[in-house]
Amino acid sequence: MHPIERVLNTLQGKPTDRVPTFCAMVEDRTFNEVLGKPLLPQERLMTNPAARYLFDRWGPVLTKTAFRIELDRALEKRIRAQVELGFDSVWAILDETFTVVDHATMVRFSGSIFNLQPDGYGNMTYMYRGPGIKTREDFENWPYWPDADDLAHSTYRFFRKMMSKYGHRACLFGQGPAYGIHESLLWAVGFEKMPVWIRREKDLVKRYVDRCEEICLKTNMALLDAGVPVVIQTDDFAFKSGPLMNPRLIDEIFGPSYRRIIKAVHDRGAYYVLHSCGDNTLLFDTFISWGVDGLHAYENTSNVDIFREKKLHGDQVTIIGGVGVDYLLTDRSKDEEVVSEVKRLLTGLGPGGRFIIAPVHSLSTIPAHKLRVMVDAVARFGAYPVALS
Amino acid sequence: MNESTMAVRRAIDELDLDGIGMLVGACLEEGLTPEEIIQEGISKGLEIVGRKFEDGEYFLADLIMAGEVVKEAMPILKARMNPGDSSGKGTVILATVAGDIHEIGKNIVGMILSANGFEVIDLGVDVPAIRIMDTARTTGARFIGLSALLTTMVDSIREVVDAAGAAGLRDQVKIVIGGACTSQDLCTEMGADAYGETAIDALRIFNGYAAGA
Repeated sequence: MHPIERVLNTLQGKPTDRVPTFCAMVEDRTFNEVLGKPLLPQERLMTNPAARYLFDRWGPVLTKTAFRIELDRALEKRIRAQVELGFDSVWAILDETFTVVDHATMVRFSGSIFNLQPDGYGNMTYMYRGPGIKTREDFENWPYWPDADDLAHSTYRFFRKMMSKYGHRACLFGQGPAYGIHESLLWAVGFEKMPVWIRREKDLVKRYVDRCEEICLKTNMALLDAGVPVVIQTDDFAFKSGPLMNPRLIDEIFGPSYRRIIKAVHDRGAYYVLHSCGDNTLLFDTFISWGVDGLHAYENTSNVDIFREKKLHGDQVTIIGGVGVDYLLTDRSKDEEVVSEVKRLLTGLGPGGRFIIAPVHSLSTIPAHKLRVMVDAVARFGAYPVALS
Repeated sequence: MNESTMAVRRAIDELDLDGIGMLVGACLEEGLTPEEIIQEGISKGLEIVGRKFEDGEYFLADLIMAGEVVKEAMPILKARMNPGDSSGKGTVILATVAGDIHEIGKNIVGMILSANGFEVIDLGVDVPAIRIMDTARTTGARFIGLSALLTTMVDSIREVVDAAGAAGLRDQVKIVIGGACTSQDLCTEMGADAYGETAIDALRIFNGYAAGA
């Protein structure tokens, strides 16, 4: 069976020849291991005094010219590496949400600020620094909001190219330059202030959500125009111990947008997968009511029980994830431990279908070798009927 | 139970951000002391919120909201307190460990501890062990809360434990850890004193230490 058919059948709850695999993206360290290291390590951009000066002086201009071009190349490498590792489905993202302000700072158009920093392997990565919108005035004057139509055009161009290069080899789960509405708000105003905003600034929250929805809708349609069969969006709704907010409130504030976004994808005959970190046990019914076809992460380090969820919801939604990145997919684990965990997941979650095995996240600490071990183990032990001892 | 302090307690339980100031003012007008209002109104209200959080009725955002409600009340009460008055549970140093810049969980713990009578010194994120120990030495703080989200940074917890030993403070300070990558097993492995999964766990642990101190 072709990987694309295997994945799409699983998302529809139809029979397949074996449990499919999904790669939850790869970071620079991992794709460099697969494709070879670049001549000029990215970290130099941050450490070289001349490069620092240029970014400090003309960061926003360089973002639109040199930086975005280099970033798009890196994003293509991510897709290519995932395909070459042999995954049935891969996470393809176009991240044009950023402007580099100086050599150490990036802002996301939706209102948040990030540190640019080395990843420990010679590359650059980013980490959340804090909110960019602290007051009503900040919201009204935030200068980085993009034109949604421009984003849609660049999304279409990028994904048309990716589909022609890789779309016949693996099932592309496409994510346009639009992060989840909830996590965007959380990053924009800061988690400690978000409950207060929701209580006191209802009109601004509504306008914020509407703006994000418009971007999601337009970039998702561009993905589908380019031929992407599955739309994936990331929106972290929970910590390791449970949801950040009351599920009723989450549904009230974000549910209407997500219902419209997902319906628009379904109306075009495509599928919708939501990635949400943490323990979403109390939210899975809500997500399913929004219409998602698949749910990804089921982080092993959170309190979520993927086996229980398969029993409870495995007939309504495809469960994607399960393979830990905190130890298993690191240099510290042994190959046989990866194989053993893959077998345990296949045995417990494979029967009945609607399970795609995948790492729970991408991290710089994931070596390509461990992903190969995982893919190989699924090929050896994941054929239906899955009946491993 | 005084009706006015009951109203304060209820306002915290109901997360009434807009009404708390007026209710605290009414208590003071009646002649209640700030200490009585804190003890009977605010602390008891926070206890109810904590219970509801543990029962799954309230969520993390509600805990934060309760902290915000208390923040509205405290300046009004502090303005009427005599210098030196305090519920005096002790000082907690909070820090996200070296190499890690995630601070949401730490900030929530700080807010809950402050609202419950602890003095909190928040050293921020990416804090080296040596700075934490210097602060413990200069302030005399005996409680330390360490937050870590990144799996790759857990060794920084051990560095703090080791630094406490090297500074001759290990027997005098209690080191409590929390955050996405932490667990009871990690706590044992790193030689810390306790692990708290939630902000309410952290409050319970530090309350226990304060009561025993």
